[in-house]
Amino acid sequence: MTTTKKFSRFRTTEFYLFVFLIAILVFLKIFAAGFYDINNVMSILNRFSYILISAIGMNLIIITSNIDVSAGALISALCIIVALIGKKGLNTGVLLISAIATGILISMVNGLIITRLRIPAIVATLATTQILQGILPLSVNGSIYDLPVSFTWLAVKAKIFGLIPGSVVIAIVFAVIAIVFMKYSRYSRQLYAIGNNMTGARLAGINVNRVVIISYMIAGGLYGVTSVIIATGSQRVTPTMANGMEMLFIASAVLGGTSTTGGKGKIEGTVIGALILSMISSAINYLGISSDWSDAVMGFIILASVVTTTYKKKKKRVIEGAEQ
Amino acid sequence: MRVENKLRIDFNAALVFILIISFFLIANQNPAFLSGEYIISVVLKNAIEIGFLALPMTIIIVTGGIDLSCGNMMVLASMLGGIAAAKGGSLLGIAVTFLVGCACGLLNGVIIAKIKVPAMVTTLATMYLFLGIARGISKGVSIYSYPVTDFLGNALVFGIPIQVYIYIIWAVIFVTILQKSVYGRIIFAIGRNEGAARYSGVNTEIAVIKAYVLEGVMAGFAALTWIGRFTSLKYDAGTNLHMKVITVVVLGGTSILGGYGDMKGTIIATLIIAVLNSGLTVMGMPVDAQTIVQGTVLLISLTVYALINMQGKRKKRPKLQESGGEKMQPLH
Repeated sequence: MTTTKKFSRFRTTEFYLFVFLIAILVFLKIFAAGFYDINNVMSILNRFSYILISAIGMNLIIITSNIDVSAGALISALCIIVALIGKKGLNTGVLLISAIATGILISMVNGLIITRLRIPAIVATLATTQILQGILPLSVNGSIYDLPVSFTWLAVKAKIFGLIPGSVVIAIVFAVIAIVFMKYSRYSRQLYAIGNNMTGARLAGINVNRVVIISYMIAGGLYGVTSVIIATGSQRVTPTMANGMEMLFIASAVLGGTSTTGGKGKIEGTVIGALILSMISSAINYLGISSDWSDAVMGFIILASVVTTTYKKKKKRVIEGAEQ
Repeated sequence: MRVENKLRIDFNAALVFILIISFFLIANQNPAFLSGEYIISVVLKNAIEIGFLALPMTIIIVTGGIDLSCGNMMVLASMLGGIAAAKGGSLLGIAVTFLVGCACGLLNGVIIAKIKVPAMVTTLATMYLFLGIARGISKGVSIYSYPVTDFLGNALVFGIPIQVYIYIIWAVIFVTILQKSVYGRIIFAIGRNEGAARYSGVNTEIAVIKAYVLEGVMAGFAALTWIGRFTSLKYDAGTNLHMKVITVVVLGGTSILGGYGDMKGTIIATLIIAVLNSGLTVMGMPVDAQTIVQGTVLLISLTVYALINMQGKRKKRPKLQESGGEKMQPLH
């Protein structure tokens, strides 16, 4: 009995997901050796880094049972701001700080609308998405190009051992901080409490509105980091660069075992989820299947994973009830 | 009860008011907008697909669910229908369109109702799935319309596009379903309290699945008129459609949390969005400005609705017990 209990403690969603990830990697090693080409791995890691950073923020929001569908439009807006500042030849540090600050500010507006006006998160952020998506193409004529060479420092020059992109280091640092933060901070416990039972959390003395607004602000800051990584990828920035990306972030969190009904979810899962999603299109390409199928594969993986985890949970609950 | 009912009527009246105001503001700027021909052939035609999808979406949102996949469902249905029609004629095309729509809706419904995966996650995944299948099968190539869809998308009957008649018929049917039928009562009951509905003997799973299959059927209709109207269709045609559909439903006064909703509101909201979209085009505003206006209208209406709700709650709180069961009449 004790051994099965010990074993079942390991059998979390994250564990299954990790096994799944290893299985994919082994499968690719056998059938698509070209996938492990060093340039391909690095480009996947770069994509992984910016998906992960935003997915961490999205995870915090989803744990409180809210959601943010404006992330893509917001990151597009931040990309434009980054480009406008970068045109003056300022260095990446300044870009990062200004993007984070603007991200926090705009995302705070989302949080304020949701908590103060009590508008459900999905429609409130839907409305801000539309407003942002409308403003951007009007404010920028086509795209911003002819950016200085120093603008792409993060993507081109900042490489560890001349190989690993700097963005990956940033992502890992953020992931480690987030994991520690979610384990030990008081704030993270309040997040889970709100997600599990909002009224209960309020009655227990948690300032629900403040915690939710702060979760949006943290996410906004992380979107800022993402926007710098995306924008500095080339010397041209368009106002629709990150549109639709919010679904990737939500999918990473959901694939990582975060429940959209709130109160559940770990950063470890989000890391694996983001890694799986970021390598799908490239993996498919190296398997010799047309990359046109990448969206379908992504949808299928998300669907299969949520169906199996939900089904497992349902079965477990029945057994627990019988034991009582 | 009386207070709440009055508010509900007021909300629809307010929507009509917004509709008339925006209509005349636009007509004031550009008299060409007032011509009957323009209103019928452009204003109505432009929003008809959104209207088709918004009708069953209202039912889904009242049950407390949501369907993010509806736009891509429409694209997949019209894509497979178009391919089938190219091989086996128009009839086969139509049959495949509706079959695919129903199958997609059924998939969503079964996963949501039977396996109990949250609707948002399910439809988020199927949104990718449908888009991906459409993209994979078409390989990025456009699909072209066929005779029957040309008729459904462009034909005029007594000077009015045929899809407007189809929409009116469906609108009446859906108002009856949600507002007058037993099934509508069940839908509201599920939205207010699914557990209670189940314990009072309602087969909630079947009811929810039905709602999603209805979305599939309407996606089939939207698919036929869409491909007919534009004569060709690419896999990415419906990527933002779900946002517009949800905007319409929410603007119509349906609570995104479920349990409260009005089909008539959805219909009026469809007209508002139609007038705004074409009106701003007439006024020479770029498409992007229209998106801003749409978002702002949504935000303002949500705020107003939230304020009304808060006020209603404050008044209602002392007599919570009697108002609880009154708006909804007994189920049987």
